[in-house]
Amino acid sequence: MAMHFIFSDTVVLLFDFWSVHSPAGMALSVLVLLLLAVLYEGIKVGKAKLLHQVLVNLPTSISQQTIAETDGDSAGSDSSPVGRTHHRWYLCHFGQSLIHVIQVVIGYFIMLAVMSYNTWIFLGVVLGSAVGYYLAYPLLSTA
Amino acid sequence: MDHSHHMGMSYMDSNSTMQPSHHHPATSASHPHGGGDSHMMMMPMTFYFGFKNVELLFSGLVINTAGEMAGAFVAVFLLAMFYEGLKIARESLLRKSQVSIRYNSMPVPGPNGTILMETHKTVGQQMLSFPHLLQTVLHIIQVVISYFLMLIFMTYNGYLCIAVAAGAGTGYFLFSWKKAVVVDITEHCH
Repeated sequence: MAMHFIFSDTVVLLFDFWSVHSPAGMALSVLVLLLLAVLYEGIKVGKAKLLHQVLVNLPTSISQQTIAETDGDSAGSDSSPVGRTHHRWYLCHFGQSLIHVIQVVIGYFIMLAVMSYNTWIFLGVVLGSAVGYYLAYPLLSTA
Repeated sequence: MDHSHHMGMSYMDSNSTMQPSHHHPATSASHPHGGGDSHMMMMPMTFYFGFKNVELLFSGLVINTAGEMAGAFVAVFLLAMFYEGLKIARESLLRKSQVSIRYNSMPVPGPNGTILMETHKTVGQQMLSFPHLLQTVLHIIQVVISYFLMLIFMTYNGYLCIAVAAGAGTGYFLFSWKKAVVVDITEHCH
């Protein structure tokens, strides 16, 4: 395996069936990795926004119940609507964990693609990260 | 968001320093055409599922049986979970140590010859304070573990990669739940 960046039209990326051996295939692979990098940046922003949204929408009932539990008893008062909110919050958090796993896997796939030391792939990933950051991060401040 | 920089660099430390003994430039090192087609494929470049002769991070650590692969799966799973927990712990430690705010009042001459009190508020850590040193040590540990996880993923072994992803997901689920509840209570003005 070459340990320096090369310009080439042949590369095998990540899986055995993904072997590129033509300029058109290389262009398509670069496009796929560009979109993957855009998706990665988008998922980062999406996860932060989702967390913020969850904390804004379900704060009162959970904090009230937690404060009531720390004060002493009164866990029996209005337990059913709070229990449903708790259940919804657990579901939301499980969804966030799944998104986190997807983000981790995509990040590693992009790293392994760059590890092929193909310059076109690398430029595609860098460009995709730039485009993804440019498109996604303004959405972070508009909560 | 104070944890956005964790998300950025934690899994994409792409500076892979592999052992030079694996890739002796005996074959086509200076050949201009594509990578991955040397005669000895000591390092796989595509995903595979297997447990025979899998080298893991260190030269003595070779997996040869299914039992060893199961043990390695559990170890990698726990390492990824520990990494997520370390990230959350560092965040909460940082937030806790920044609660201590220093007020510094100094007299300042006012417009009419009166003396006004100007109050400076300093938030943050001193460089030689114990919380900052602890943060630095934890940061080093976090960097090393993140590089280890990257190298484990780089073995291209399907079982180990699944262990990394599952461990990260489980760690995030377990530790970030605690973080969300803590943030919820302490920061009530959203």
